Amino acid sequence: MARTDEIKARGSSPARVAHDPVNAPMIRHWAEAIGDRNPRWAPGPDTEAPPAMAQVWTMYGLDPARMPGDPLPDTMKVLDDAGFTAVLGTNCDQTYSRTLRPGEVVSISTRLADVVGPKLTGVGEGYFITTQSVWTVGDEEVATMTFRVLKFKPGTGRVVVDKSKSSRPMINRDTEFFWAGTAIGELRVQRCNACGELRHPPGPVCPSCHAMDRGFVVASGRGTVHSFLVHHAPAVPGKKLPLTLALVELDEGVRMVGEVSGDVAIGDAVEVWFDPIDDEVTLAKWQPAGTPAPEPQPEEKSDLPVWELPITPTLVVSTALATRDFQDVHHDRDRSIGHGSKDIFINILSTTGLVQRYVTEWAGPQTQVLSCALRLGAPAHPYDTLRFTGTIVSEIDGVTTLDVTGLVSVGTHVNARLEITR
Amino acid sequence: MSSFSGAAAIAGIGATEFSKESGRSELQLSAEATLAALADAGLTASDVDGLVTFTMDSTSEIALARELGIGDLRFFSRINYGGGAACATVQQAAMAVATGMADVVVAYRGFNERSGQRFGQVQKWAAEQVNTNGLDNAWTYPQGLSTPAATVAMQARRYMHEYGATSEDFGRVAVADRRHAANNPAAFFYQKPITIQDHQSSRIIADPLRLLDCCQESDGAVAIVVTSTERARDLRAGAVPILAAAQGSAADQFVMTSYYRDDIGIAEMGVVGRDLWRQSGLAPADIQTAVLYDHFTPYVLMQLEELGFCGRGEAKDFIADGAIEIGGRLPLNTHGGQLGEAYIHGMNGIAEGVRQIRGSSVNQVDGARHVLVTAGTGVPTSGLILGGA
Repeated sequence: MARTDEIKARGSSPARVAHDPVNAPMIRHWAEAIGDRNPRWAPGPDTEAPPAMAQVWTMYGLDPARMPGDPLPDTMKVLDDAGFTAVLGTNCDQTYSRTLRPGEVVSISTRLADVVGPKLTGVGEGYFITTQSVWTVGDEEVATMTFRVLKFKPGTGRVVVDKSKSSRPMINRDTEFFWAGTAIGELRVQRCNACGELRHPPGPVCPSCHAMDRGFVVASGRGTVHSFLVHHAPAVPGKKLPLTLALVELDEGVRMVGEVSGDVAIGDAVEVWFDPIDDEVTLAKWQPAGTPAPEPQPEEKSDLPVWELPITPTLVVSTALATRDFQDVHHDRDRSIGHGSKDIFINILSTTGLVQRYVTEWAGPQTQVLSCALRLGAPAHPYDTLRFTGTIVSEIDGVTTLDVTGLVSVGTHVNARLEITR
Repeated sequence: MSSFSGAAAIAGIGATEFSKESGRSELQLSAEATLAALADAGLTASDVDGLVTFTMDSTSEIALARELGIGDLRFFSRINYGGGAACATVQQAAMAVATGMADVVVAYRGFNERSGQRFGQVQKWAAEQVNTNGLDNAWTYPQGLSTPAATVAMQARRYMHEYGATSEDFGRVAVADRRHAANNPAAFFYQKPITIQDHQSSRIIADPLRLLDCCQESDGAVAIVVTSTERARDLRAGAVPILAAAQGSAADQFVMTSYYRDDIGIAEMGVVGRDLWRQSGLAPADIQTAVLYDHFTPYVLMQLEELGFCGRGEAKDFIADGAIEIGGRLPLNTHGGQLGEAYIHGMNGIAEGVRQIRGSSVNQVDGARHVLVTAGTGVPTSGLILGGA
């Protein structure tokens, strides 16, 4: 990585002036897209720019002529050439000296701070690139940013099992009672209302008495292993191999096939547990009897009201455009899938905006955001929900420090620490 | 003996080469095998008035008839449940001939099962069928029990537990098949015998099953010509009379996962066996050689028991001294079986049964007068007894 050392040695780039001065139309677009109704951003003689927009003013355009000497694109090119072609923003720490007002002209100067790697990450083998930027108006420093991205080789990540790829059960009116049961943690066995015979798998007619009047009993969830196997090959979508599958003889006297977590032998006592594979289907699985229950998740603590934001394609695309971030992964589904993503996803500037909206809506419109340090995790895709919680870390000398977490269905999208004054 | 016994006969057999990549369509494979079988019988396409295949076959009866210039078809039929269909295609053909519904019926099966859709992989579509098969699979596929090897492994483990059979006992079936295949130039594993040690060191697929317990994946086609025994006697290759032909499905039957019976074994093969003995008036002692469907080795042991060649749980002892190899009491799968020759869904086993009666097998069993052939196990299945003219 001698070439990145050269880039590092160049130090800070010459100041690059924003295409446009800070202006009310861009502020309005941004506030609309983020859904931020703070009156301070509204058009008028006292309009202010949201701090989260700091980076927006100096974004390159859709068809950018990169300024020679900008270290980030130069570093990206070095890694592209080495095969690390994919990019993922991971950290964005910003500090704000003051808010900006329409008419002010912002410049940016950036230096390459660090290139660390190669490291094996969840998405692949890659390098973490850290840059430091300073925004100025005239000679005055108005904001700073430490920005870290991961440049990685697509397809080299650790294999992560995606439960949603499991086969889904066919369900009809004869079997829906079973799946309705697993969804609420009940293992239901069909029982003939006429003769009392228990039966699994269920069906519409009692083979013993031909009655079609059927109900169910809730099984104890205990049984013994009648037989089992350990599947090693070939791959089974949605499952991690080797996979132990057992034919369980329930205490009630019927048998059921299920995945077993843990080692078993024929005759071993097992007990059921319930594993949701998606919003609609929950599987009944088994574990050796007496397996300690998993530690209960600690009660989610939030000093701020919980905010659940449905993610729509409109939200992803409109916020990307309002932040002048024209990377295709934020607006072009086909190309995003082509880059190995499952869909478009929210860009880091918009996440910054949403975090600050969450905090200022709670703290009040006059809140000043002094700094915002973001660490990004799971991508936020359309049709998911972004669930924000916030806790107060400290309140010292009028400065409140807050931690904000944004969760999506597959994990943590963002952890952020903010310093604010009210 | 039933009046059906011996009324119809196999007059011709034909096959393509067996490979891992045929390089041509499944329709073409079936057409080639059918033409070969007709040539073997000394018949032409215009003699054919009936066609039978598997429900799983991708080639329709009418498409094959069009390709070969077959004229009017008076009988066409399809059998369900995968490899369990094999012998039943011949049963249907024989019933049509015996009842006068058709004069010359060809049973065929052709596929690119290695280069095309591989049955050994997870078939997600099987769990998504909007029918009772899809509903049945809902109790296993979402849990990850979704390959044939895994479904058989569940029964194999229970069988081992109840009767003390071991992986080496299963391995003896593979060794016998591969020994026979080693003499068969048509076999994929020609000149490639294995030892028990090879079997024991092959990798685990679905414990307790190892790679060498599992049949091959193959491309190819086989066709069988059935006509009346009387007519077949006058044809080029002569008649191999069908002495018995039976289908079987047992109480609480599922496809490959009949796990809810008291004994989770393969009762459906017992149904087939009892009817084969009833129709033919024969008993196990009258069978000189058999072709037992061998997609997975444990089922060969269980078939020997269900068919009455030995008592329940005794198959491991029955085969221990080489009884199922050439020179033994009951040589099995003399073409190499589906582990050694090719996996053509059991149809290649019927062709081997015919060769044994004709005296033309590469591993000819001395004095082979009656040969028993079975179809896929663990599913509703079928069987045949072929006999000398």
